[in-house]
Amino acid sequence: MTLTDGLKSRNPKPRLPGRRGFYPAIEPYLFLLPAFVVFGLFLFYPFVRTIYLSTYLTDKLGNAKVFWSLRNYTDLFASSSFWASVLVTFQFVAIVAFGGLLIGLITSLLTAKKYPGVTFASAAYAMPVAIASAAASMAFRMILHPTNGLLNILFGTQINWTGDPGWALFSVSMLTIWLASGINFIFISAGLRGVPDELYESAAIDGANYWQKLWRITLPSISPTLFFQIIINIISAFQSFSQIRLLTQGGPGDATNVIVYAIYRDAFFNFRFGTAAARSIILFVIVLVITLIQFSFEKRSVHY
Amino acid sequence: MTSLATRKNMSKLGNLLMNLPILIIILAPLIYTLLISVMPPSEIYQNRLIPSSVNFGNYVKAFTNPAYSFLTFIRNSFIVSTAVMIGQMITCSLAAFAFAFLDFRGKKLLFILVLATMMVPGEATIIANYLTISRWGWLDTFRALIVPYLTSAMGIFLLRQNYLTFARELHEAAKIDGCSNPRFMASVVVPLSRPALGALGAYVFLNTWNQYMWPLLVTNSSSYRTVQIGISMLYDIDAESLGLMMAGVVIVIVPSLSIFIFMQKQLINGLMAGAVKG
Repeated sequence: MTLTDGLKSRNPKPRLPGRRGFYPAIEPYLFLLPAFVVFGLFLFYPFVRTIYLSTYLTDKLGNAKVFWSLRNYTDLFASSSFWASVLVTFQFVAIVAFGGLLIGLITSLLTAKKYPGVTFASAAYAMPVAIASAAASMAFRMILHPTNGLLNILFGTQINWTGDPGWALFSVSMLTIWLASGINFIFISAGLRGVPDELYESAAIDGANYWQKLWRITLPSISPTLFFQIIINIISAFQSFSQIRLLTQGGPGDATNVIVYAIYRDAFFNFRFGTAAARSIILFVIVLVITLIQFSFEKRSVHY
Repeated sequence: MTSLATRKNMSKLGNLLMNLPILIIILAPLIYTLLISVMPPSEIYQNRLIPSSVNFGNYVKAFTNPAYSFLTFIRNSFIVSTAVMIGQMITCSLAAFAFAFLDFRGKKLLFILVLATMMVPGEATIIANYLTISRWGWLDTFRALIVPYLTSAMGIFLLRQNYLTFARELHEAAKIDGCSNPRFMASVVVPLSRPALGALGAYVFLNTWNQYMWPLLVTNSSSYRTVQIGISMLYDIDAESLGLMMAGVVIVIVPSLSIFIFMQKQLINGLMAGAVKG
């Protein structure tokens, strides 16, 4: 089924609205009204407003005061801390996107066959989708606790996981991979179920072993799923906030100051709403480009 | 014969054993949180992993000590999540009905507009939304937590896809019999689409329950804070009571996990609908 199926007239002979009277002509719009009021006020308007604000200097309450043209953007592009934030974001996104995919792939492969206990294992692997990132962040605060946390007890170390610039990004990435593993498992498992059995059967007749089947059949067959999933991982990693706010506050220094956290810092600590808006638009453009890349790869069947 | 059976059983056991390492890693955060929450406080600082005795003091404290106002947080989250869930079920099924069953000018454009909203990350508009809400004087109200989330492109899309599977003749026949669209929707479409509505409901409730950034921005007083904000503030109230913090995490995870366990199928359908049903 394609994206626009059902958009064409479903009546064999559509009657003209004018002949049906006033109410029938506006009825469809009445059905759409509640949704579009909400979209209008909290999506379309703020989107335009964000573009507008990004070209202004604002006061502490976020009112646009001085037209600033593109200087919020050029100032950002000229600042090293902005590029540090972009670099950290891309590192974070890359670790999380591939890490989540790898865990999802391993867990899906482990539960692809039927055996006693597989239902429990599958439920456990999917479970992180239900857990709030804020709740998980608080749990990881204990796990990563510098003196009494699980990780330091197990490894016999005294590492300040979230306060050490060398470990902070790694720590929030591990938490985010854990959070993302559930959705990766669900999608990749669904992809694996779609691989035709005949492929495996004929490979078995040819005497292929497990790894040959994995490399030659499974992975090529599910590569569209893997590609789709990595895009989902990238987009959702770009939007991470709770774990940064609750574990590192963007620090130490700027070590975990990802774009969304930088937006929050700009707006609510420095009251620079114009810069925050400019960063928001940059975030939007990045996500848009990634989405368009996905679309161009998937002309055949659009997933959204 | 027996050796074949044993070998089969061995390989089944082997399959299960191969899961163990990664199963432990995935489950460890939850099990550890649970263990710390019932551990006598002194043992946390002795770096024990398994408590010597089970102690529910942290839970009693979380629920009864007014300083933590956990019952208020839970009540608030239930109010907000339920309202958003019901609101989305209504607005999304109405819009989906128009897109699936009715013909009107601008249909294609409006539908593409709905889909386009999926490309805007919520974080990119959150500053402007915060400014709107604060200008309206809505900070620290339930309205601020509920109203912006009363519809979603994903919900409209999920229900529309579901409606398109219904026989077109159904709507034609109803029209000929003089059945109005609202009546057709209430008496035919909604009952038929119950599984899809359930998927949307489970997904939306869980997402709202798990929200963090928006409630953090628009609530200041504990009387409107939701659970996720509530537990994350425990650390600021008392960094020494690690056990209490973990009890808080367990308390807010229980409803999420319950939805996951009892509505797993609906939830996964909801999750996948937004992404792969197209």
